Amino acid sequence: MKQVLQNQQKASADVGRRNFLRALAGAAGAVTALQVLDALEAAPEQVAESLVPQTVTEADETADVLIRMQADLARALKKQPSERRWVMVIDLRKCVGCHACTIACVAENKLPPGVVYRPVIEEEIGEYPNVTRRFIPRPCMQCENPPCVPVCPVHATYTNAEGVVEVNYEQCIGCRACLTACPYGARTSDFGYTYAEGTPNADGLILGRDAADEYERAPNFEYGRPWPREAHGSPMGNARKCHFCLHRVKEGLLPECVTTCIGRATLFGDANDPDSVVAQLIHRPNVIRLKEELGTQPRVYYIV
Amino acid sequence: MIKRIVYGLGALALLLGLYGFYSRLFIGEREVNYGSYVTWGLWVAMYLFFAGISTGAYMLATLDHLFNVRLFKGAGKYALWGALVTMPAALITIAFDLGHMERIWKVYLSPNFGAPMAQLVWGYTLFLVVIVVSLVLTLRRPQTLSTKVVMSIGLFLAIFLSGGVGALLSVNASRASWHAAMLPAQFPIFSLTSGVALLMTLLGWFTPDDETRQQRVRLLGLAMIVLILVKAYYLWVDYSVALYSGVPDTARAVELVLFGQYAWAFWGLQVALGMIVPLIVLVQPRLARSGFWAGLMGVLVLVGFAVARSNIIFPALAIPELEGLTEAFHGPHLNIDYAPSLMELSVVSGVVGLATLAYLIGVDALPFLKKYEVTK
Repeated sequence: MKQVLQNQQKASADVGRRNFLRALAGAAGAVTALQVLDALEAAPEQVAESLVPQTVTEADETADVLIRMQADLARALKKQPSERRWVMVIDLRKCVGCHACTIACVAENKLPPGVVYRPVIEEEIGEYPNVTRRFIPRPCMQCENPPCVPVCPVHATYTNAEGVVEVNYEQCIGCRACLTACPYGARTSDFGYTYAEGTPNADGLILGRDAADEYERAPNFEYGRPWPREAHGSPMGNARKCHFCLHRVKEGLLPECVTTCIGRATLFGDANDPDSVVAQLIHRPNVIRLKEELGTQPRVYYIV
Repeated sequence: MIKRIVYGLGALALLLGLYGFYSRLFIGEREVNYGSYVTWGLWVAMYLFFAGISTGAYMLATLDHLFNVRLFKGAGKYALWGALVTMPAALITIAFDLGHMERIWKVYLSPNFGAPMAQLVWGYTLFLVVIVVSLVLTLRRPQTLSTKVVMSIGLFLAIFLSGGVGALLSVNASRASWHAAMLPAQFPIFSLTSGVALLMTLLGWFTPDDETRQQRVRLLGLAMIVLILVKAYYLWVDYSVALYSGVPDTARAVELVLFGQYAWAFWGLQVALGMIVPLIVLVQPRLARSGFWAGLMGVLVLVGFAVARSNIIFPALAIPELEGLTEAFHGPHLNIDYAPSLMELSVVSGVVGLATLAYLIGVDALPFLKKYEVTK
């Protein structure tokens, strides 16, 4: 009995210590966020350097997984691009199907109607009353052998040094051969719509179409440069797809879907770093990849 | 009389196409029904169709200018002219399908020659040049070695480009019903059949009704019977293998064609109108020798081919790559149930009208085509 109590006290002390460390890590995260904001206001040209927070690089295994991934990212960014291999791990046991990642991705990349990078597929297993539901977020698989690349007639789609399949918007002719070739349906074509279409113009204080349009025509920052929506220029008319938010990653920020996931179900990092969260997960036996039989070697792993 | 009717129909088709041309050129692709799931629609099918006619017509022109088949002496230039007007028709429809048609020059300046599409763009460009050179040479120096060399190059290109269109589809391993080595092998036969159908119409309707015409269309009719039977065999092989495989993804596209939303077009237009009716008519010698009937059967076979090309494209793309994907997110052009929009049909009508009028005006106005010659 005494032994049991001692164990309980030890466990309670451990929990207390863990909570304390978590709180500490949370505080560190908040301080870092403030530093990031300061850095953004102070010296934009030095943002990339300052966005790799020192406190985060020291996160230990007890820290929240987001803090750990932030540390993984900071370590990876110090390496040459060709030495890192970005992968995404999605824990299907934790995904609750809230679609926050889909919406966050739409907001981050200012995706217009009809364009989606990360839909969440819902699967119903069994028949009533023995029914369960499974949610499968589906970003671009960033295949090691991507079928979309060799069919592009103008080299507009290619795999970069970090293993991410990119689209050169100004090179793309909009033939949709890559959409046809992708076995995951991971690409969509931008037909040039805006959400404000059909909104009446209004005078005075009412937000009318012009004002709404102005917001929608503002640029997104995919691939690290501004892309305003005007005059049928790119990315309108182009093939579009998930790019692991490379514009965020190179600034030391995790992809938007990762930071938004309320269940910590989406994880991201450098598979070449054996200490990273993702490297430790992808070798587990309960990890699968979609349509592995095709030999495309996706860089998105699912924990089941 | 028939020519006048065809002139009228061509003009009407072009008139109907003006709305589509305006919409595509000044508004964009908003009114099309293809999208991110059914990535290629009617325009890609029609590109396959016109390109098939063009390459097939060239193959037939070699009967006159390369193989010196006596019965087809004088018919080669009409086949070459047919090839020359249908290839731009193919290129217009596929250019309209591009999200950025103004960037087509990039395929010339920074091509990925490993991609079937780049190979085809370069091939078509070369083919167009070869058609023009062939036409000039056959008129000026019909029996010289240079003409035969150019015609040989053209024949090779015609076969290569026909097969290349099949390869453009079959390289997509994710589309089970396309991913077969047989597809590129079948396409040159389909092109040849399209060419025979075109020539049946041209010789049947637009040349004087004499003994030579009767013999020519009769021979083309016999060739058509054989080719329709070959096509039927290919259909049987493709569909039965897919259905017997037991793999649902392989069979679903075929089931859509045979029993699903495209069944009416398959059984009604492709099989009944495009294959069975021509077979019934062409096996009757009296009808097969008639220019009117031969021309009409040529048109029916071509209509059947237009539908057949569509039935290769649409159903294969109507099978989602991942189950549940189409329900996961909604928005414009994220639809799996494809039927061509009015605007897409309008563009095709306009292109058909353009090609028809271009052919007839060429035959009536160009001095080298106006003069009708036969070797008896």
